[in-house]
Amino acid sequence: MENLGAIAILLAFCLGIYALVGSVAGAWRQKPFLIASANRAIYAVWFLLTTASALLVYALLTSDFRLAYVAAHSNRDMPPLYKFAAWWGGQEGSLLLWSWLLSCYSVVVLFTNRHKHRRIMPYVSATLMTTQVFFLIFNAFVANPFRVLAVGREITSVPDGNGLNPLLQYWAMAIHPPILYLGYVGFAVPFAFAMGSLITREPGDGWLHTIRRWTLVTWLFQSCGILLGAGWAYAVLGWGGYWGWDPVENASLLPWITATAFLHSVMMQEKKGMMKVWNVVLISATFWLCIFGTFLTRSGIVSSVHAFAQSPIGKWFTGYLALVGAAALYLILSRLDYLKTRSRLESVISRESSFLFNNLLLLVSCFAILWGTLFPVISEAVTGQKISVDVPFFNRVQIPVGLSLLFLTGVAPLLAWRRSSPASLKRNFMLPGIAGIGTIAVLFAAGMRHFYALVCFGLCLFVASTIALEFYRGARAISVKTGQNLAAAVVELTRRNTRRYGGYTVHIGIVLMFVGFAGSAFNKNLTVDVGIGDTFHLGRYDLKVLELREGENPNYTWNHAVVDVSTGGSHLANMEPERRFYKSSQQGSAEVSIRRRLHEDLYLNFAGMTDDNAKAVMQAYVFPLVSWIWIGFWVLILGTLICLTPSRVRARKARGAEPELADELVVAER
Amino acid sequence: MTALVAVLLALGAILFTLAIRRNDLPEAASVSPTAHLEEKKAIVYDNFRDLQFEYRVGKLSDTDYQVAKAVLQRELANLNAEIERLGGAKTAVPATQVKPVPAMGTVCPKCGAKFAQPLKFCGECAAPMAKGGAA
Repeated sequence: MENLGAIAILLAFCLGIYALVGSVAGAWRQKPFLIASANRAIYAVWFLLTTASALLVYALLTSDFRLAYVAAHSNRDMPPLYKFAAWWGGQEGSLLLWSWLLSCYSVVVLFTNRHKHRRIMPYVSATLMTTQVFFLIFNAFVANPFRVLAVGREITSVPDGNGLNPLLQYWAMAIHPPILYLGYVGFAVPFAFAMGSLITREPGDGWLHTIRRWTLVTWLFQSCGILLGAGWAYAVLGWGGYWGWDPVENASLLPWITATAFLHSVMMQEKKGMMKVWNVVLISATFWLCIFGTFLTRSGIVSSVHAFAQSPIGKWFTGYLALVGAAALYLILSRLDYLKTRSRLESVISRESSFLFNNLLLLVSCFAILWGTLFPVISEAVTGQKISVDVPFFNRVQIPVGLSLLFLTGVAPLLAWRRSSPASLKRNFMLPGIAGIGTIAVLFAAGMRHFYALVCFGLCLFVASTIALEFYRGARAISVKTGQNLAAAVVELTRRNTRRYGGYTVHIGIVLMFVGFAGSAFNKNLTVDVGIGDTFHLGRYDLKVLELREGENPNYTWNHAVVDVSTGGSHLANMEPERRFYKSSQQGSAEVSIRRRLHEDLYLNFAGMTDDNAKAVMQAYVFPLVSWIWIGFWVLILGTLICLTPSRVRARKARGAEPELADELVVAER
Repeated sequence: MTALVAVLLALGAILFTLAIRRNDLPEAASVSPTAHLEEKKAIVYDNFRDLQFEYRVGKLSDTDYQVAKAVLQRELANLNAEIERLGGAKTAVPATQVKPVPAMGTVCPKCGAKFAQPLKFCGECAAPMAKGGAA
């Protein structure tokens, strides 16, 4: 059965090409049979890739070491979960996952839009299949996961595999890549719709509503993927950081930033018919950055702690990136008349302009990250020397940009569409302004002198106040009208306009994350060589080593420490950090011990033994407020899910009940 | 064994892709020439609903509210005029990009049964109404 997977991929490649050509020819020559056949081919591609993926997973679970991929990325003693996760643990499997997810998205798009968007759907299919065929080229010819180990013409096998990278043997890492990929791959759909609408010059913004929801789902996956990666880095890498501006981390953040910009600016197009060109540029840039991110991760052109692969796939990606960029640019430039805006910006002090500034800041952030990420490659090409850009560069640019974005998060909901008069501004900004400035004053009086931390905490309270005020005012209006209590009114308010109040909930999540980021200004750390009975101190904690043990199991050897943690003489906890060394891959990894609290985390890493093997090298860290990042993440998920739920008012309208407020407008018009 | 499964897989995929029957084609949808304008009209209503809510909760001054409302009313008037110019929202034309709809008739060419509405198949004998029946 070892060849069946390769054959399935080859068939999928052929059918992918057929679907691409059939969709375009069918739409062009108006042949509905050809379009229907091309659609069937897309379903067949999904089935074939599902078969290939299932065969690979089966080979991994049964340790079929005749396959080179299985031998390179798993071993017999790995737990089944990590054997399954080895599907995306290496280059070939990871690219197969990309292809499979894209085929899943393609069939979902086809099925859910089978009665909609008739004119643009063939072009949507063709765009999706272009990307599908591109990745199938890798799966079939460049990085085939079904390559067998052979001596001469004889298929051979090895007794045991190399095992999965130990850093990947962690629960969050088992789900981080597929979730991040769901984000990366999903952005192909909005891009496909945008290209379809440009090609056919589809009137109206109906397709935009479809992709707005789609982009939100994909954005949620991307957010989860990024945060899971951050959580993994925090809990596994042993240095306590959740973000290191590593090229691969940056690669996942870039499309997230442009998608965030799109999710904001799309409101301008929906409500005001503005920023049409800009939105198509953002969708195209997001997809381009997704392919670029995969390229960075998979080609090894920049060195990264992730260091997944050094391979010759770079030139293929360069070609495809050029094709996508050129096609999108041509279509946008040739359709400028179709993308003409019907409204203009009337005032700088308006919600429109706050969205515009939000987009500009996100773009500055994106460009700075892209520049910093690619600088080593650019410097090598220009000067012959590879110059790496370090964390301080990113922080210097990103902290002020991030704080400015946080400020706009608070300002935008308080501004009216079109223009806000000084009277409205005063009415809306008085309380939140006092809250923000008051926070800074109180913290300064309490002795805090870190500039960015002070500003960040002040802005966090400012934004939180604006959002609280929004909920309070809306809920009070409902409460007065219906007699509900305030809590029930808040729920009712959210159900009436899920998009707006879900968005505010996402903003609360972002505020909580910024509280966590600001806490990093007060991190403490200490590295000591300690033996049994030794005591060391960090912050308010007294740490005493009670035990040092070592041992082994079939998968790895380990060193284990038991550390007593106390403060002011009272015992708080026993912490047990561990160091592991995996036998198959001959690589080490840390199992850090973390005492998580809302105000700060105590973090212990068993870094190794001293050269004479007499003492343990222990790294201790205190990370204030870091838990709020993870709490903010859950709030962000909740907010996005609220956004995805249909609003009660809109649902009623969809059933035919004309909203009473709209009636007033119609009456006024007559 | 592998060869047999591979051949079956290939044949199955090709058959599934190419064997399209007329019934597999999606129904033709009628497209109103004013659909996109109706869509814009719905957005104006939405914008007005938001505007009035913000005014009601005290976020907007009276002047801001009146100015924004007047702009929305102007937009609505323009949209109504445009819809009227295009012949009203009720006019619908068949989509040009979709499959040709099978011909329909009101008299069955096989059993002669008559129907008030055009049908694809006879309601009495289930014969296709495409040939011979009056459309």
